[in-house]
Amino acid sequence: MEQSKMPLRLRQEVMESGNCARCGLCVGLCPYIKTMNERIAFIHDCNREDGTCYRVCPRTPTNLSDLDKQVFGKERADHGLGNYLEILYARSLNKDLAQAGQYGGVVSTLAAYMVESGESQAAVLTKRQNNSPPTPCLARNREEVLSCSGSNYSASPTLSILNAGVRSGLEKLTIVGRPCQILGLRKMQALTERSEHNMSAKKVDFLIGLFCFWSLETEIYTYLRGKTGSARLLRMDIPQNYGVVTTENGEIQIPIDELRAFIRPTCQSCFDPTSEFADVSVGSTEYDPEWSTLIIRSTRGQEIVNKVCNAGHLETKPYPEERLPLLLNAVINKKKRVLESLSNGKGYEYLELSSDYTQGIEEGGVGR
Amino acid sequence: MSFMSLQVNEPGRSVLMTGNEAITRGAIEAGLSFAASYPGSPTSEILAHLGRLANEHNLYAEWSVNEKVAIEEAAAASFAGLRSLCIVKQNGLNVALDSLVSIAISGIKAGMVLVVGDDPGAHSSTNEEDSRLLSKVVHIPIFEPSTPEEAKQMTLAAYELSENLKLPVTLRCVTRISHASGNVTLGELQNVNKQAIFAKKDRYVTNAALHQLQEVKLAKIRQIADTLPFNTYKGPQNAKTVIIASGPSALYAPEAVNALGLDNEVGVLKLGMTWPLPEKFLLEHMKHAERVIFIEEIESFNEDNVMALAAQHISEIYPLEFYGQKSGHVTGPKGPGVGEMDPDKVKQSIARVLGVENNQAAEKPSLKLETPDVPVREMAFCAGCPHRASFWAMKSAVALDGRNAVVLGDIGCYSLALRRTGWALPQTMHAMGSSAGIANGLGKLERFGFKQPVIAVVGDSTFFHSTIPALVNARYTRANFLLVVLDNETTAMTGHQPHPGMSKNAMGEIVEGLQIEEVVKGLKLPVVIQDPYDVKGTTEVVYKLLQSEGTKVLVLSQACALVAAKASTRPRVYIDQEQCIGDSCGCNRFCSATFTCPATIWDPKKGKALIDEVVCNRCQVCVSLCPQGAIKVEGGANLDR
Repeated sequence: MEQSKMPLRLRQEVMESGNCARCGLCVGLCPYIKTMNERIAFIHDCNREDGTCYRVCPRTPTNLSDLDKQVFGKERADHGLGNYLEILYARSLNKDLAQAGQYGGVVSTLAAYMVESGESQAAVLTKRQNNSPPTPCLARNREEVLSCSGSNYSASPTLSILNAGVRSGLEKLTIVGRPCQILGLRKMQALTERSEHNMSAKKVDFLIGLFCFWSLETEIYTYLRGKTGSARLLRMDIPQNYGVVTTENGEIQIPIDELRAFIRPTCQSCFDPTSEFADVSVGSTEYDPEWSTLIIRSTRGQEIVNKVCNAGHLETKPYPEERLPLLLNAVINKKKRVLESLSNGKGYEYLELSSDYTQGIEEGGVGR
Repeated sequence: MSFMSLQVNEPGRSVLMTGNEAITRGAIEAGLSFAASYPGSPTSEILAHLGRLANEHNLYAEWSVNEKVAIEEAAAASFAGLRSLCIVKQNGLNVALDSLVSIAISGIKAGMVLVVGDDPGAHSSTNEEDSRLLSKVVHIPIFEPSTPEEAKQMTLAAYELSENLKLPVTLRCVTRISHASGNVTLGELQNVNKQAIFAKKDRYVTNAALHQLQEVKLAKIRQIADTLPFNTYKGPQNAKTVIIASGPSALYAPEAVNALGLDNEVGVLKLGMTWPLPEKFLLEHMKHAERVIFIEEIESFNEDNVMALAAQHISEIYPLEFYGQKSGHVTGPKGPGVGEMDPDKVKQSIARVLGVENNQAAEKPSLKLETPDVPVREMAFCAGCPHRASFWAMKSAVALDGRNAVVLGDIGCYSLALRRTGWALPQTMHAMGSSAGIANGLGKLERFGFKQPVIAVVGDSTFFHSTIPALVNARYTRANFLLVVLDNETTAMTGHQPHPGMSKNAMGEIVEGLQIEEVVKGLKLPVVIQDPYDVKGTTEVVYKLLQSEGTKVLVLSQACALVAAKASTRPRVYIDQEQCIGDSCGCNRFCSATFTCPATIWDPKKGKALIDEVVCNRCQVCVSLCPQGAIKVEGGANLDR
């Protein structure tokens, strides 16, 4: 990378231009970038030429082909879903986790296994707070994982806790993150020529990526408080055409259009709704609330899923043949919209896409 | 030259004293009973001395909440028959002016002297200001000493004049007189224990009808001025060139004349009373002159007044040329009236007027420091100063808030925040308490589309001095702003004088200090108290308060590092150079180059940070900010601060 004044560019091109995905990976690398109420800001310009912050940001120039080779050893064949080994339906066999989690409770079950089995010293998770932005959590045991179960819909910079966790000596970490967060971590892992200092992602050895088509602005919590009053918010879900907020007093339905008003504009530039660089990706089936979609991408992902299944915590079944085109279409359509807005001169161009990749998307994803 | 010299009771003995000590001495010799002041350079030491001497000399000395109250109290003592003294700096006179105008109209009883410290060159002030113009507005006479000896004598003379005319009298003292030392001949120390009484027949009322009386008083003083020993002329009997100077300029002028070899040609007329003018005395010397050169500091006060006098008597003194600030001849490098005078500038100015060669000696400074060059030190918060932590936290909260919050500065040590040490965070700075007033204004601009949060920053002493009315206003108008009170438990900038929030008064007595939060709670405004040394916590609190509507107050409470250090048993703070990774850290030398605490320095040999333990006040703030955790506290614990 030849750019000069990288931190300054990060501030101007990403943060102040509204392109920050709020992954949180730049927070805590240095004393200058801080976060509050989900917003990330430079407290003071450091005036450095080089900046890890800029290099690892999921919204600075990113070469997908290089990342594919780095993570999976090969370019992708599927331009919709990226590299993967297997796509399945999965659900937890642990009642408590299944109940506390969203859909099949797969994420909680995987994370709980990682910390319980000792595969990981801790898992970086997101803990829902009652009607205010969630907070990052370093879960070291099953109970702590359980306390973080359930989905959050705002863009919370939870990776901010990773740098602090690694500095405190933690190793072998599991991360549960949005696609942008997974991308940032992989970019940091790619910085092999750099010293170990502040390369927290190198201490991460299992990445659970979430499906994410968009996230909501922090103001959603103010909005929700208006809907729920003083009632404690227990869970939120956006099944298909409406949002559901569960409070201690019952369920409140929210029209999807009202929620859409809170979608973060930068999510419209996102090219990766299924966490293409994770070891495993997990999302809704948009069909059967008992199950989750599980994409096993890497051999590491395969290995862990096998272990969790063998230990009797998780069951899987084949992804229904007839549902696959629906998922692929949704993903491809999102990618096409991004490409379209870029060719219209709108949007924020940070992906370095080879012609193979763009062509692949235009032709509908699979089969190349 | 010390406090001790104030206690020597040996009339006739000559003792070295500063100008401020000389004024103190003069006041006591004059039988002073009552003194009130608000601290401000260059005259802060006077009341501090009087506070220490209070018991011995049956005095009452008070650090008042502000100058307006101070002058009203001094007037009250005078009404009750006690000689009184009020000490302010130039800006302080602005605060007191409204009352002083009225007091001068109503008249007084016992001698009342107002010492005004002006600060040409603004060594310890926000601005240069010539208070003589204000005394003229007030219709009171002005003494201007040129030496400490004269400062003492003029103090005594001022009391006599004040008591005779029933009018306050100004003693205008500039920094170079207040802080310079000279021999002072001691007089008899007084220890009056006077009965205070407000006579039943007495009335002190401001009334337009009394204007006439004021003019009568001034006319009387004008006559007295001609006989005062403080107005002098030295030089050839009928010099063609007469320099008119006052204050320190009256010392520089003869020195410059001598250096230019003009002793036989140029005379120097020193004005010791600069208002009203000794008219006959001036006219007498203007008659024999062909040209007059005015040398004075800040405004062309003497120049304007003497030229007006000359115009009135033009037929008697014609022909006569005038040189000074107005003609552009008398000036330093920054232009007429800007900055202090000194012998070199005076010499150059005279040479310019007379068209004489400014001889070689003039090219060299007449004063040469015999000490080696001292490294230039940045104007910065002290090591461990809580303000540094406070401003870093505010800067952080403002950045995280992201709505371009406007930070309004005020008068105190924290004015330094306008510089690098406070990351130039404040965007305005005016007079004492102005930040709160400006915040009131900005806090009502919502209807004009103003969406930026507003933070007004005042110190504890400034809070009591002039912030409370602005806070009352905000309570009334529901103005939208956050008032941050940097409570370091003292009036730090002027030398740690006590204020109403403290449990000690000027005379060292224990009193009940008023808590800032009590005042705010009394106004039914929300108030939060926070330790600024907890930077993370403070950042969160400021951020949260910025998200709320209306007027709210945050008290950042932490003792001034200089006071705390004296009583401290805090553990040693050091940098573990094994853990500091120097320039390979992404911090860009945060501790020494960004946070810039004077105690954290760069060790060029090792390429790592280092703590200068002589300078460090052990506040431990840097411990929490080092991204590597390389700054440690001896004993490991983050002990009780």
